[in-house]
Amino acid sequence: MCGVCGIVSYDGLPDLALLRRMMGRLGHRGPDGNGYFRDRRVALGHTRLAIIDTSGGAQPLCNEDGTMWVTFNGEIFNYVELREELRDRGHTFRTASDTEVIVHGWEEWGEECFARFNGQWAVALWDRRAERLVLSRDRLGVRPLFFTRRPTGLLFASEVKSIFADPSVERAFDPVGLEQTFTYWSPVAPLTVFRGIEQLEPGYYAILDRDGFKKAPYWHIMFPERGREPVQDARESADDLRERIVEATRLRFMRSDVPVGAYLSGGLDSSVMAAVIARHTSAPLHTFSLRFSDSEFDEGHYQKKMSAVLGTQHQDIIVSSSDIADVFPEVIWHAEIPILRAAPAPLFLLSKLVRDNGYKVVVTGEGADEVLAGYDLFREARVRLFWSRDPGSAKRTRAAELLYPWMVRSPGRMPAFARSFFGRHLDPDDPALSHRPRWDSTSVIKSMLSHELQDGMGRAAAEDVVAAMPPDGKGWDPLSRAQWLEMTTLLAGYILASQGDRMLMGNSVEGRFPFLDRDVVDFANALPARHKLFGLEEKYLLKRAFADLLPDDILHRPKQPYRAPDAASFFTPDRPAWFEAVMAERAVAEAGVFEPSLVAELLAKCERTSGENMSNTDNMRVLAVVSTQLTHECFIANDGRKAPERSLPDPSVAVDLITEDRSVP
Amino acid sequence: MNHDIVIWVLKDYVVRVLQDYEALRRPDTDPELEAVRVAILLEDIFGITLSDAEIDPAVLADSSAVTALVTRLAGGL
Repeated sequence: MCGVCGIVSYDGLPDLALLRRMMGRLGHRGPDGNGYFRDRRVALGHTRLAIIDTSGGAQPLCNEDGTMWVTFNGEIFNYVELREELRDRGHTFRTASDTEVIVHGWEEWGEECFARFNGQWAVALWDRRAERLVLSRDRLGVRPLFFTRRPTGLLFASEVKSIFADPSVERAFDPVGLEQTFTYWSPVAPLTVFRGIEQLEPGYYAILDRDGFKKAPYWHIMFPERGREPVQDARESADDLRERIVEATRLRFMRSDVPVGAYLSGGLDSSVMAAVIARHTSAPLHTFSLRFSDSEFDEGHYQKKMSAVLGTQHQDIIVSSSDIADVFPEVIWHAEIPILRAAPAPLFLLSKLVRDNGYKVVVTGEGADEVLAGYDLFREARVRLFWSRDPGSAKRTRAAELLYPWMVRSPGRMPAFARSFFGRHLDPDDPALSHRPRWDSTSVIKSMLSHELQDGMGRAAAEDVVAAMPPDGKGWDPLSRAQWLEMTTLLAGYILASQGDRMLMGNSVEGRFPFLDRDVVDFANALPARHKLFGLEEKYLLKRAFADLLPDDILHRPKQPYRAPDAASFFTPDRPAWFEAVMAERAVAEAGVFEPSLVAELLAKCERTSGENMSNTDNMRVLAVVSTQLTHECFIANDGRKAPERSLPDPSVAVDLITEDRSVP
Repeated sequence: MNHDIVIWVLKDYVVRVLQDYEALRRPDTDPELEAVRVAILLEDIFGITLSDAEIDPAVLADSSAVTALVTRLAGGL
């Protein structure tokens, strides 16, 4: 895993000093080495976290005759098989790295090469003969890729802070990107929260040449028409799913020249991952877990149990509310976006634990909830459809108790509440029926926005995403439509970014996600919906496929969403000084996103109770304001000047065709 | 397709669904809640709508009764 950046300029030499500054802002993504390439039109930069071919895979890297260059962040897990295929077709390889497969794959297959890659990537290819830049991003958005277009060129990078190394790039919030964040929890590609900064959509490639900029998908999130799924037998599907997950896990654990660890949350998904590694590989397994000093959030019991069952070398970190408050500015520096939960902060501390233990790669269970239907949101949608078929039924009302076991403790009251909350927007023909309650409850943040910002929100963000669902979606199962929305919004924009890549790479750790393997996803998407959500049994097929590898109480444990202490962390007596500074009325007014008087009221309300018993709405509002203020502080008001700069070591690849300087290992 | 064959296929399908249900079943301690759980499953898979009288443990805890119910509602018998 690495950092990539570059400059394309059709009207003058790309600035090498700027490229070096851009690379300097990606030092955390690649502390093991760096390199650059420049010709008349392009400068490519790379900071390296060396994982495959640690001695020979330095970048940027070129083809046999130096006409095609690549800078690449990620992994192509099927590179061994692709390399053999390309060798058979006459290509010569100089390294044992997966990077070289990209160069030769592009030469051989053009844009069709991306569909052949099974991996996680953000890549830039420069074709010197055609003076053409190609950008590509993996199917579901594991790896980030941002860019800003100019009349005669483009800047691109793994992180926005790298693009902001160019002082001529505008620094301002994009009102529509913010509106999407305060609806879906993140902007939906190509939007970002910054005006003029785009992100390449997952599953897309883009081409920039003298004719202009164009982009196209090489892969879509697709589902079969309900009732026309190719395999209907659950036992057969369970066997096939197991085979694919085992292979995906094995690839991600074995295809590395450095040791690979695993996250162990105590839930089903990470337990399956760890169990598969323990069963199907001979290497010792080191597992890492996140615990909380607040017992309400702690899952230490299940983590220890699973670790003991598998015999892993296990380490955990116990995180407190004050830890979250202390580290929060650094979290936003890495996330580069307002966040509505504090959950990324403990994950940042967990990746630090991994790095401090000498590991730089971890396998995690991320993606299982989206691909195999684990979220409560999917179950809620099914209950809501159940209600909608007979709205007056007293018996149907009790389904709320099946959603949340804790409701059983007060059965007379909570179902009525749940029904009133989830019972809104019960239009069975609405393609976004599953997501309306979440979008509604998130959108309350917008009532605090400044009038200026609200004026800047020209169009209805929510409808943009729904309208982008493929026309075939009408024939999909309602669960498939919900999965499409979840993969398009929260997975790429928040789970894989703010909770994923950014919190891992902030400590120079690469995450690998077997549930997001190409073959696993394509197989799972083609399954009948009932194999994933069977009645109200979430991840049914996953449980059935791995029932023999897991302890019974982990297999049948009700789904526990990952939760961490949230906004209450900011109202403890020992909160850090930065909070007062960024939340001061003048600072809120300067950022221009929220109405200062409303923020002051919210803070006063929370202060009165020292953050105790905050409502979900207030919790989310506080986090939205704090993280937005920090985002403004880091990237707009100060342009990251307060953040630690990392000086890069001497480059291992330094090719400047303008000065004819050349240093390639 | 012959109506008898349709019904035969449907019955077979119901049996397989109930077997799949049993494969990971953790019954609710409250039989009425268990009936609601089964009703959600059947309505989703077979595209039927049960009445409140049919969302009843006496009907939905018995595999033969379930098969007869689904066959009647989904198969038009």
